[in-house]
Amino acid sequence: MIDRDESSRRVSRLLGVARRLQDPDDPLGSEARRRLPEVTALSPEGVELALGEHLEVDAPRDEIAALCERAGRSPCCHVVVSANVCTAVLRALATALATSPVVRLRPSRRDPVLAQLLVRALEEDAAVERAPRSSTVRRGADSQPPPPMEVTLVEAVAPAAGDELHVYGVDATVQLHREQHPTALLRGHGTGLGVAVVAEGADLDDAAVCAAADVVPFDQRGCLSPRFVLVEGGPDRARAFAEQLHESLRALSAQVPRGRVDERLGAEIARQRSTLEAVGSWLEGPHHAVGLDPDPRALPLPPAARIAHVVPARAQTASQLLERWATWIATVGAAGDGALLETVHALAPRARRAPLGRMQRPPFDGPVDLRQL
Amino acid sequence: VLSADTSATSETLHQRVRAFIEASAAGAPAPTAERFDELALEVARFQAAHVPPVARLWQARRVALHRAADVRALPGLPTDVFRLARVAAHAPELDVRVFRTSGTTQGAEARGEHPMRTTRTYEQAALSWGARLLWPDGPPARAIVLAAHPRQAPDSSLSFMLELFVRSWNAPASWHFAPYARVLDARGVAEAAAEARAAGEPVMVLGTSFAFVHLDEATHGLDLRLPPGSSAMQTGGFKGRSREVSHPEMRALIATSFGLDEARVVAEYGMTELSSQLYEGTLAGRGRAGVYLPPPWMRVDAVDPSTLEPLAPGDVGIARIVDLANVDSALVVQTADRVRWVDGGIELLGRQPGAVPRGCSLAIDQVLGRDAEGER
Repeated sequence: MIDRDESSRRVSRLLGVARRLQDPDDPLGSEARRRLPEVTALSPEGVELALGEHLEVDAPRDEIAALCERAGRSPCCHVVVSANVCTAVLRALATALATSPVVRLRPSRRDPVLAQLLVRALEEDAAVERAPRSSTVRRGADSQPPPPMEVTLVEAVAPAAGDELHVYGVDATVQLHREQHPTALLRGHGTGLGVAVVAEGADLDDAAVCAAADVVPFDQRGCLSPRFVLVEGGPDRARAFAEQLHESLRALSAQVPRGRVDERLGAEIARQRSTLEAVGSWLEGPHHAVGLDPDPRALPLPPAARIAHVVPARAQTASQLLERWATWIATVGAAGDGALLETVHALAPRARRAPLGRMQRPPFDGPVDLRQL
Repeated sequence: VLSADTSATSETLHQRVRAFIEASAAGAPAPTAERFDELALEVARFQAAHVPPVARLWQARRVALHRAADVRALPGLPTDVFRLARVAAHAPELDVRVFRTSGTTQGAEARGEHPMRTTRTYEQAALSWGARLLWPDGPPARAIVLAAHPRQAPDSSLSFMLELFVRSWNAPASWHFAPYARVLDARGVAEAAAEARAAGEPVMVLGTSFAFVHLDEATHGLDLRLPPGSSAMQTGGFKGRSREVSHPEMRALIATSFGLDEARVVAEYGMTELSSQLYEGTLAGRGRAGVYLPPPWMRVDAVDPSTLEPLAPGDVGIARIVDLANVDSALVVQTADRVRWVDGGIELLGRQPGAVPRGCSLAIDQVLGRDAEGER
């Protein structure tokens, strides 16, 4: 119990210092906002949305307790964050600190910003704690000293036998680390996708607003972002939803524009556009698109660039459509419930489940992606 | 089902395309660009009226076919569409063949389909260009085929084409690949090679890339040398069925295995979604290895991957292919293969890479089994 309490206190301390990154007036928060648009290719508004709304600094105590309960125990926890959305390093670090007071963190080479700033925030916090206190600035009688913890950025991980190694990356990266560190206890989290289900009784307008709120954060680059939307019913209902989603995305994108689209992403979008124009229809705005296939044989993966692929579906047809994607489904968002949703849940039993509009806000009770490689 | 008028239009267009192929194969003056465009635009108008995916794409792009004078103005149907929708001017009841993609990289449920109401135009296109570039000095006396026989793979356009070739040669042929067992009969290949050596008759070996690699791995101690005048044609990717080998290595591997000069080894570029093929021209003394020559009834443009607009010759883009022989499906096919026009043909430069992942969302390259350029 003491051990779990210590874990919780380490996680809480991390979330406490992370608030500085959320605050645009804090030097660290300011630096994050300056550096992240370049490395993430999100728009400044997209970065603000990520830091302001999706940096999980306010996790409830019971969720932190659940995170610590789920975590393992290890003398040292090594973390590789090679492919993730920018704010995800906070949960990765929290999971590691729930596991061990000693964490070695190898951040993404492409996007090391929040990892660097979080470690700096922890160091500055520790320095304040170490500083001599004046008689007027004393810790309250009931407060405890901060829990001992050591978080270090490293260029490469080197886990000892029995250490935990948490890898967040493409599946091949997870496999590579498994081969390189056979004696470590590896917890791997690969890439994934989100699937949204609009059930038969759901209000289409509400569902579209909620789905848009799930698509926009991180420009759909997270494994919790919905890429496919299955609308229970026939093609007319799917079309009505697609049109509503198009409008909702247009409205939301006016406030939070999509970030940079580079040449390769542009090429993927161009191909998807032509494909959907031939197969069904394609509704495109300056910062998003909605593809509709009214009679789907298969689901083509849309580029991760605020592009939703909408199809009509029934419980009887969903298995055939989703079978190929099932192992990659990290979350299922739903408006309403019913037979179609049950089928999707059965296909992806380890996926997180969320109401539509909350897909990007899973409880802080473990890794966002509960599928483990 | 096609109306009588539609069926008649389709048949007339097929006849005209076959006449076009015949004229160019007979060494008639090269068809002028106007004639190609004229015929292509007639096929395009037919497809705009009768092939729903093509019609939807061109409608979405507001293509004014009645005013179009240049087939280069027509958007290409992405190859992906062949696995998402039926691409045909006719009803399924009229299919005489449905060629399907292998499904090894996309998953069995997502196999692309190319339905055929008639295979006559396909056959003429394949034989005409094959005769020019694969057997320019006359049909080979024998054939060794490292691919599945059409009886075992009735929906494989490659098997169909290879069987068409050997039938047209009226030559003894042996087939050495069992697709379901995925077994290559290396000893049988060696026996066929020995028979050819004994008869002193040149052989053409026809096979898929992965079959040649499997053969290479299975023939230690076996003598595969072929008589003088023999040659080999290799096609297709590896699709995870064997180790991957670069194109120059593959040519050297085949040449070494069969005792051939490297110039006697040619590669083909074809796909289920097309009715015509491209070959390296080395056997015909046209062009160099690595440059693929399209037939006169086909046009290949390198287009910008983002704008899909044609690029200047020499620029690298993705291949948009106009295949006149695709009368009942899609005249203009948009591939994701990177190409560059050079020396009268195209160089193949691999598939257009997907976007660099910037998060943990699934990337298309991962689905296709390619490196997603994730960090290591």
